[in-house]
Amino acid sequence: MRLGEPARMQAAINITPLVDVVLVLLIIFMVMAPQMRKGPDVNLPNTTKPNSQGDERGRILVSIDEAGGLWINDQPVAAEHFDETLRAAVGAETNPKIVIRGDAKLNFREVREVMVAIEQEGFRGVGLIAKRAGAEGK
Amino acid sequence: MQFDNNDSGSSLQSEINITPLVDVVLVLLIIFMVVVPLLIEGYDVDIPRASADTSAPVAESQLILSIGSAACPILTPPAGEGIPKNCEVTLADQKIPVAELPARVAAILGGRPAEQRALFLAVDDRLNYEAVLRIIDLAKSRVEDLKIEFVAAN
Repeated sequence: MRLGEPARMQAAINITPLVDVVLVLLIIFMVMAPQMRKGPDVNLPNTTKPNSQGDERGRILVSIDEAGGLWINDQPVAAEHFDETLRAAVGAETNPKIVIRGDAKLNFREVREVMVAIEQEGFRGVGLIAKRAGAEGK
Repeated sequence: MQFDNNDSGSSLQSEINITPLVDVVLVLLIIFMVVVPLLIEGYDVDIPRASADTSAPVAESQLILSIGSAACPILTPPAGEGIPKNCEVTLADQKIPVAELPARVAAILGGRPAEQRALFLAVDDRLNYEAVLRIIDLAKSRVEDLKIEFVAAN
């Protein structure tokens, strides 16, 4: 295309604004999606320097909500079915990484009881999930 | 913006085309926004074997930190950051204010080889979970690769 020629029709649609709008919409939905997850409402404890526990996919998430209710991978679990649900969640994995997302309002007994239940299934190490103080997030 | 209207035919375009740059930056932004909420942080701990023989003699080198609800009365989530000052913990049978914990743990465990850096925790059941995690955070703050293990409550 030569810029100098007067009154020549431009045949191509300018798609740049379209792409920008679509990308922004994509970002909006991606930010909203984690907040729409169906899992428990857990207010994680705040600490100064928690260590990285990696990506939550590939971990088995055991959550304990404020009322002491148990959740495995965002599905509610009755206390009496905890063992078999945990075993089913682990499946054939030989070295599963189990993390506990406990609510900050719990007392230690409720968390310890869950740790004992996990230990009785033969898993000795767990990660206790915290939130870095000052960081925004779930 | 004015186009050069001379007849040379090959007028230079003086502006950089930033559209590909913007696209790449937006895609990078999306990638980070998706990955960051999935990253989790916390503390690795070991759970005592419930079936283990608890009457076995405690090894001399085991460093035990006990947090009792009488000396450290934090039963509800502590406000703000850190641990309230009225909290006292027992480290290797010595009662110390919780603020001294990082220095004491570092003094005792700092010289040991990494595989022997272990802290055994005896925590009162009534304590608030957030307070317990903050004390673990304090204990770990000056020692690298510190292993945390809970001992059965007594």
